[in-house]
Amino acid sequence: MSVENLKAYIESGVLELYVLGDLSPEEALHVEEMASQYQEVRDELAAIEQAMEQYAFQNAVQPPADLESKLFEKLGITEEEEFETVAAPVINQEQPRIIRLDASDGKIRTLRYALVACVALLVVSTAALFITYNKLNDAHDQIASLNLDKQKFAGVVSQLEFENKGLDNMVAMNDSKEWATIRMAGQTFSPKSKMNVYWNKKDKSVLINYVAMDLPKADAEHEYQLWALVNGKPVSLGVFGKTDSTSNEALQKMQAIQEAQAFAVTLEPMGGSVNPTMEKLTVMGGV
Amino acid sequence: MTALKKLTLTEPELVVALQSKDPAVLKTLYSMYSSALYGVISRIITHTELAEDVLQETFVKIWQSASHYDNTKGRLFTWMMNIARNLSIDKLRSKDFKNSLKNQDIENNVSFVDEQNKVTFNPDVMGVKQLVENLKPDLQSVLDLVYYKGFTHVEAAEKLNLPLGTVKTRIRLAIIELRRSFN
Repeated sequence: MSVENLKAYIESGVLELYVLGDLSPEEALHVEEMASQYQEVRDELAAIEQAMEQYAFQNAVQPPADLESKLFEKLGITEEEEFETVAAPVINQEQPRIIRLDASDGKIRTLRYALVACVALLVVSTAALFITYNKLNDAHDQIASLNLDKQKFAGVVSQLEFENKGLDNMVAMNDSKEWATIRMAGQTFSPKSKMNVYWNKKDKSVLINYVAMDLPKADAEHEYQLWALVNGKPVSLGVFGKTDSTSNEALQKMQAIQEAQAFAVTLEPMGGSVNPTMEKLTVMGGV
Repeated sequence: MTALKKLTLTEPELVVALQSKDPAVLKTLYSMYSSALYGVISRIITHTELAEDVLQETFVKIWQSASHYDNTKGRLFTWMMNIARNLSIDKLRSKDFKNSLKNQDIENNVSFVDEQNKVTFNPDVMGVKQLVENLKPDLQSVLDLVYYKGFTHVEAAEKLNLPLGTVKTRIRLAIIELRRSFN
């Protein structure tokens, strides 16, 4: 195109109409082709554009202040939040992605059901665990009480064994001719008490049987002492424990005595005394 | 991202951000161009609510069709301004608009338009207005119709009962006047 023709083209006013968007698509395409070929056209277009832009800026009208927030709301962009978080609704407006979003929506629904199921399962599990815990506690209590019972029964059994042993001995001694049984009766200090002493005529040994005695319980600082009265004089045959002694042996061997007219028991301080405390004479019986 | 929180950006920066669909750019775009675009819209549409609607629609369309903008074909503002003008003209011709403005004469003059809108001008705006008003009446009437009323040049030719070539020439002359005043 000649310089004259180019000038005429520029002066025709078509470039202004192009900038104002007032050309048909074909005419606009022609302008774009011209612009790609001729620097003069490009310069002219740029000058027109700048003029219109400046004109628009100098005739600017401030829109109402609330319009901006309304617009962002409409576009799904909230001003308070950071913009990164709101990219998704915008993508939403692009058609090809709608199907994909629907699919992921279904997935989200499935996940939501799964979440509900998990929560339900958690509640049921918690309840079951609670019930089981209570049952376990009950079981522990039962075991404890059974243990207590068992101990009690074991105690009873050992007591019975102890007594049975004592009774066996008593029977054996009664059958044997060697043993003399001296029955001692309660005295003023303890009228209800009674006790047996077994004295072997042959070797003169002395036995007492815890099963065959009924003495008041001695306190921690006292124990019983067995005496033999030999020609009016008391001879100590040793001390012995309380009636509920934990010793498994029902029988206790005391000191032997060659001769005696009577036997007696007094309550003495721990370790026994040299002479009997007569006020605390518990039981006594003659041979 | 942080760079985009600035309220002004160069045009190439804006275009890159806009076409990468970065939502942060919209705020920048709005603070830079909303008043200029609203100036264009509100001169075509005098009804405040409808003009506000069109401004919103304009930004929605800018956002949605950002990928269609081709910087080899012109400046970003020209593209945005034409979106605003086209939406304004569409609104002007819609049933919606005709219903809402039954009693209002579309042929009202420019000063009426300005009365209808609270116009905030830049300090040198008065000079520009003066200039437009000082244009020869025949240039001014063409620019009024095409720029303020949203007429196409064909419609303007019919309206003014002038040949198409004359209307085109007058538009060009009017814009050359503007260019001179800015230089």
